[in-house]
Order: sequence, then C-alpha cells, then structure tokens
Amino acid sequence: MSDATVSVNPIKRALSRVDWGYLWYQVMKSPLTLGGGAVVLTVLFLVIFAPVFATHDPNAIDLRARLAAPSWDHFFGTDEVGRDLYSRILYGGRQSVAVGFFVVLVAGFIGTFVGAFAGLIGGRVDVVIMRLMDVVLSVPSLVLIMALAAALGPSLINAAIAIALVRIPVYVRISRGQTLLIREMSFVTAAETFKASKLHILRWHILPNILSPVMVQATLDLGSTILLASALSFIGLGAQQPTAEWGAMVATGRNYILDQWWYSAFPGFAILITATAFNLLGDGIRDILDPKQKAR
Amino acid sequence: MKNSQWFHVVGAAAVTVGMAMNAPVALADGDSDLLVVAKASDPQTLDPAQTMDNNDWTVTYPLYQRLVAYDVSEDGKGLTSVVGELASKWSASDDGTVWTFDLASGNAFSDGTAVDAAAVEYSFNRLMDLGRGPSEAFPGGMKVEATGDMQVTFTLEQPFAPFLYTLANNGAGVVNPAVESKGDDHGTEWLSANSAGSGAYMLTGWERGQSLVLEPNPNYGGATPEIEKIRVDIIAEAAARRLKLEAGDVHIAESLPVDQLDALGSKDGIEVQNYPSLKVTYLYLNNKVAPLDNVDVRRAISAAVDYQGIIDGILDGNGVQMHGPIPEGMWGQNKNATQYSYDLTSAKKALDVAGGASEEISFLYSDRDPLWEPIAIATQAYLSQLGLNVKLEKLANATMRERFDSGEFGIATGNWSPDFADPYMFTNYWFDSNRHGLAGNRSWYSNDKVDGLLQQAVVSSDTAERTALYGELQEIVTDEAAYVYLFQKDYRIAVRDDVEGFVFNPMLEDIFNFGGMSLSD
Repeated sequence: MSDATVSVNPIKRALSRVDWGYLWYQVMKSPLTLGGGAVVLTVLFLVIFAPVFATHDPNAIDLRARLAAPSWDHFFGTDEVGRDLYSRILYGGRQSVAVGFFVVLVAGFIGTFVGAFAGLIGGRVDVVIMRLMDVVLSVPSLVLIMALAAALGPSLINAAIAIALVRIPVYVRISRGQTLLIREMSFVTAAETFKASKLHILRWHILPNILSPVMVQATLDLGSTILLASALSFIGLGAQQPTAEWGAMVATGRNYILDQWWYSAFPGFAILITATAFNLLGDGIRDILDPKQKAR
Repeated sequence: MKNSQWFHVVGAAAVTVGMAMNAPVALADGDSDLLVVAKASDPQTLDPAQTMDNNDWTVTYPLYQRLVAYDVSEDGKGLTSVVGELASKWSASDDGTVWTFDLASGNAFSDGTAVDAAAVEYSFNRLMDLGRGPSEAFPGGMKVEATGDMQVTFTLEQPFAPFLYTLANNGAGVVNPAVESKGDDHGTEWLSANSAGSGAYMLTGWERGQSLVLEPNPNYGGATPEIEKIRVDIIAEAAARRLKLEAGDVHIAESLPVDQLDALGSKDGIEVQNYPSLKVTYLYLNNKVAPLDNVDVRRAISAAVDYQGIIDGILDGNGVQMHGPIPEGMWGQNKNATQYSYDLTSAKKALDVAGGASEEISFLYSDRDPLWEPIAIATQAYLSQLGLNVKLEKLANATMRERFDSGEFGIATGNWSPDFADPYMFTNYWFDSNRHGLAGNRSWYSNDKVDGLLQQAVVSSDTAERTALYGELQEIVTDEAAYVYLFQKDYRIAVRDDVEGFVFNPMLEDIFNFGGMSLSD
C-alpha cells in the first residue's frame, strides 16, 4: 500500500466500491423511488432558489389585503396580516428541509461514532452507553422531544437540537449492531494481530462497512424529521413568528380554515408532498442498499 | 414503507383539515336546561381576592354576591348606576369617609349559612389581608367593621370618589367565612378551584383545560334561576368554537375574530350582538427596561405604528383609535392630549434623539385574544422599519401574566375594560407607581408628578376638578408615551338565538347574568 492510498478518505473509498450503473438500473426499476427522487429534487431546487421564485417578500405585511383568496397577485392567497402565502411556503421549505438535514447529519454523525465506539470497545463502556440509549428509547420520542424543546425554549433551532438528541440512540443501535458483526470478521482480527490501534480499526475497517445501513436510516429519517419539526412548530415549540414555517402556518391557519381554506391547505400540502417524497426515496434507497430488509 | 411513517404523513394531513375536538360530549342540542359557553382559555384562579382577569370572572361573578350590583334599565340595557344586592340601603357621611350598609335578609351561601355582617367583614379583611391585585381597587387603610348583625360600616382614611362602584367589582364578592378552615393563607388554595359564595350559582365541577360546571345555589336568596346547568367549555381554537356554535353544541362563543363574526351573522339560529363598549386594546411598553426606558424610543414606537392600518385591516374598520388612555364614552377624556399617528419621519427623528436602540426587545402575546397575534406581527414589521429588533414570544396566557407581574418583558399586548364608570379605571390603574405589574401599571411607568395628580384626583369629589387633574395627566402620559394607545372597539359576541335575557354591561366585560338568562325551546 503506497502512501497516497493511505490518505484516501474511508467514506470515499466506500463510495468508490458502489456500482453506479447497477444503482441506476435499480432506481429506474422502481417508479416510486424515481418519483420520490424527482419530487425531492424539485423541492430542494425550489427552496434553495426561493428568492428567485418568490413573488413577494415573505415577511412583508399588508394589513389591508389580509386573508385574500388565491389570485394572480397572490398564487396561494394571503395570511392574517396580508403576507403572500406562496412566497412564505417557498421560504418555509428552507426551514423544514434545513431542519431535516441538520437532524440527520448531527444525529447520524454522533450516533454512528458512539455506536461504533461502544461496539468496538465492548465491556462496561458498551453496557453503560447502551443502557443510556435504552433509557432514551424507552420514553416515547415525541414526548421527549416536546419536553426538550420546551426546556430549551421555543425556537426552530432548539426544536432541531431536541429532535437530533432524541434520534441519536437510533443510530447508536444500528452502528453498534453492525460493529459487533464486523468486529468478528477476519480482516479486523487480522488488523488486531498486527497491533493496529482501536482508532485505526474504527476508521479503516469498521466505519466504511457500517455506512450503508446508517445511510438507509438517514434517508428514511429525513421525511419523518420534516414532519416532526412541523409538528413542533404546529404546537408552538418550533419556529416563532414571523418566521415562515409550514407547521406554524398550518397552526395559525386553523383559526381561519372555515372561511379561508387556503391558509392551512397549501402549507399542509407542502408538508404532505415533501414528507411523502422523502419517505419514498428513503424506501427506495433502502431496497437498493439493503435488499435483505426489503419490506415485501 | 414502514407503517409508522405513513401514519405520520396521514396525521399531518388530518391535522391540516381537522380541528381539536377535545371538548366534552355535546349535550346542549335540544336540552333547554343546559347553557354552554365556549371560551378560549381556562380560568387561572376562581378566588375573588386573587383574580384580576375578566376571563376568570365569567365563572366567578355569578358565584358570589356583592353589596351592590349594576342596575338594568327597563328595556334590558346595562346601566352604570348601582342598586343594592346584599345591601338593602346605605348612607355616607358628608365628607364621604364613613359608609354604612344595611344588609337585606334572606341571602345565604351555598352551604346554607346566612350572609350576615360578619361574613362581609371577613370577606373584605381577607381581601385586604391577602393584598393581591383585586385589593388595589379599594383605598389603602380602609377599615371594615360589622356594626350590627346586619350592618357593616366602611371607614376610609380619606374620601375616595368611586368607592360605591368598587363594591360592584368581582373582587368585592362576599365569601363564606368557612373558607378560613380550608387551609393556610385564608384558604386561598382551596378557593382557587372551588366556590363559597351566595350567588345564583355554585361551582360543581372543573376539569382543567376542558370545562367548568355551574349549578344553581339551592339557598340563593334571589329569584330561582331558570337555567339548571351552565357549562363553560374551554376550546382554544376560534374555528372550533365557531363550529360548535353553528352545530348548536354551544350557545355563546367568546373571542371570535372579526372575520368569523361577519361570516356567522348570516347563519340561521345565530345572532351576532353588538354593544358599544369601553374596552380598549393597547401595548404595554416596559418603562423599566432598555431601550424602552428612554422616552424618545417610546415616542418613536408610538409614531411608527400604523393605527389606521390596524383598524382597517385587522378590525375591518370596526374600531376607533384611542385618544390617550381614557376611551370615548367615559367622562374626563382630554382631546388636547397628544394622539400619535403613523409618521415614520417623526418616528425616525425621535429615535435619533434617543441615539438609536440596538437591544433586542421582547414582545409577548397569547391566544387569549385572536387579534393579538396579527397585532404583534404587524407591530414587529412596523418597528423593523425603524431598525428596532423585536423578538415575538407567544406564551400561554397565565405565563404571560406572570411575566407582566415580574416585569420581564419589553412590549406586550393587553386589553382593558373598566369595572366602574370612572376615569380612575384608566388613570390610577395604569400610571400609579404603586401599582406596577399585574395590578394595572403594566408599563411599569413612574412619574412623581403623575402620582401627585392621581392622588389629588382620588380624594376630590368635585367632577370638574377631577376632570382638570386627569386632563393634565393625560397630556403628560401621552407625551411620555407610557403605552401605545391602540384602539377601542365594540363588544361583539355570537349567541344562539334561543338564549334570552342577556344583559351586557360595559363594566362587566365577559360576564354573563346567568341568573337572569333563560333558554327558549
């Protein structure tokens, strides 16, 4: 092994083993995955370029045009202080999607490391870590998230932190389980025979081999995190006014739903479409990366 | 796909369309003996010596009797004059410091004990001893003494012009002395969730956050109430309150936004009633907290709010801008006092004088009034034009009120309605530096000159002199922008048309005369 290859990032190395042609074939074979992926890409495109697509400043109020019905001026109508709902939904998507990725990255990163570490070290450290995780998992996650978000104070970033904290054990368990399996493999024992450090083994032998179930979990989590963040905002623990956020918009719109259906309906559809698309994509990726778990 | 995720997706859709239908099973339809009132938030306490919120008084007022009560005109309108309730007659000494009340016989608490002078003495001593918000309505140093089995004498240190009217307040409710044995601190904990009064009704159940049940007091001294059961349902969503009203599950729906009332007016079986009112909506500006402790920052804020925009937009034109603290229709209003209008140039000028303001300003509001959120969002947008950094905080109503009391806020929304027809309600409460916090001076405003004027106005019984004193005061407090004086609007309530006998009194906002109401079949 030359010096140059030693410095290759293990994740890159793992990705380089992927047979992209086969992956593409699998995706094409599953129309639901394809559809989900297409919608996800569209949503990402729309929210990233929200300033381009928005017709109004999402926070600009116009009290005299409040609760206006959908029209050419306001595609999705206006809210209770006359803000343009179409623009607010585009900007609101940024919050939702950002929370989704934030949670998955933070929880996935920390959880995977902790889990792999626990699995590799074993012994008392493993027991303590896993019992701690069991404690967290034994409390209904939504209740725990609500309690944490309330304790941290209502804001979207605190809601995201609360969700991430509660999602960590899921990743810990997955990565620990995989680590236990891989730890016994001959290439790991071989490395141990050569007195490789734990860190070396973790980095070069364990992590690259446990990534695919973690990735599957992460993609599945994206959709549910977006829903959770919206739910927290809906009950007032997430985004605060005047931040545009889908869940918060549905919540306020509820007061006007009998006469101004558009206020709740459009953000509601945005949540529905985005969460469904992320879930379909996640399911498809799971089927491809982890055919053994295939749920049919 | 895992089932749980589908469940989340379907759940989100359901939430979009669905309403929180968590109120108790509907019984009202077709039942002429049950009246259901829907309100937005739970009472905080039912102890008349503690509650300072009309939202609680909907429940507490009919549970207790007071020495005097607001009169009702021949054609069923609420008057600002009083008649005896527990008292049969009364007299005052010439200097207005000694008041003697003779009690009518035949009134009894719900446990059967007769209401006598000792009970009245106990109630007022309890109120003053606890010293919470409601006691502030009465002059300090007031002595209450039973001077006979059925006679009570009030001795004031100095004359107090609106004294007789304060006795019709919710806080003046006469409590059964038996509460003393219910626990420490005059049984406050017990009385917060129970009733011990001689009113037409008594409390028979309270499921927090769900509903309260009132049933007639079997020992009530007045005419037996017609309605056999009153239920107050707590339904947070305005749309859900309205749906239940339309379905006939609720007879009276409180706190509906203007848009909903307009839509309801045309529905069969529902009447939207309009009453001229003295209720005002205003913003507290915490005078103790930077940058609002700077008078020029407050002036800038007052000039940056688009009053007419709020009235035309949020109220659909159903309101008028306040002219200083005293509303239209109350004597003593000074039309020469400063009335701010939306003027960004002068707002910016005032802010420049103040040297700018970089601190974050918190803005509290709650669900209690559906207008508060749009007002908060609009105000934030107005103030951002000045470069002021406002952070909105939506709180539970009770939490918000605690913050008023501790002074931990920058700006907050508030409603105020008078308990008696005297400008005292809008001046002494709002500006007296002894009433900081929930007691009434929610801007934590302090000004020695104003305190002096307030003191002078209270002891005088000459209306012309008081008008002049209050007039001078209004010029000071508008110039110093102690509050943002937003608007005054009519009291509008949606009622099923089988409800009869409701008398609205602007002194008794959110309070219903359940004892005199009935349901037609």
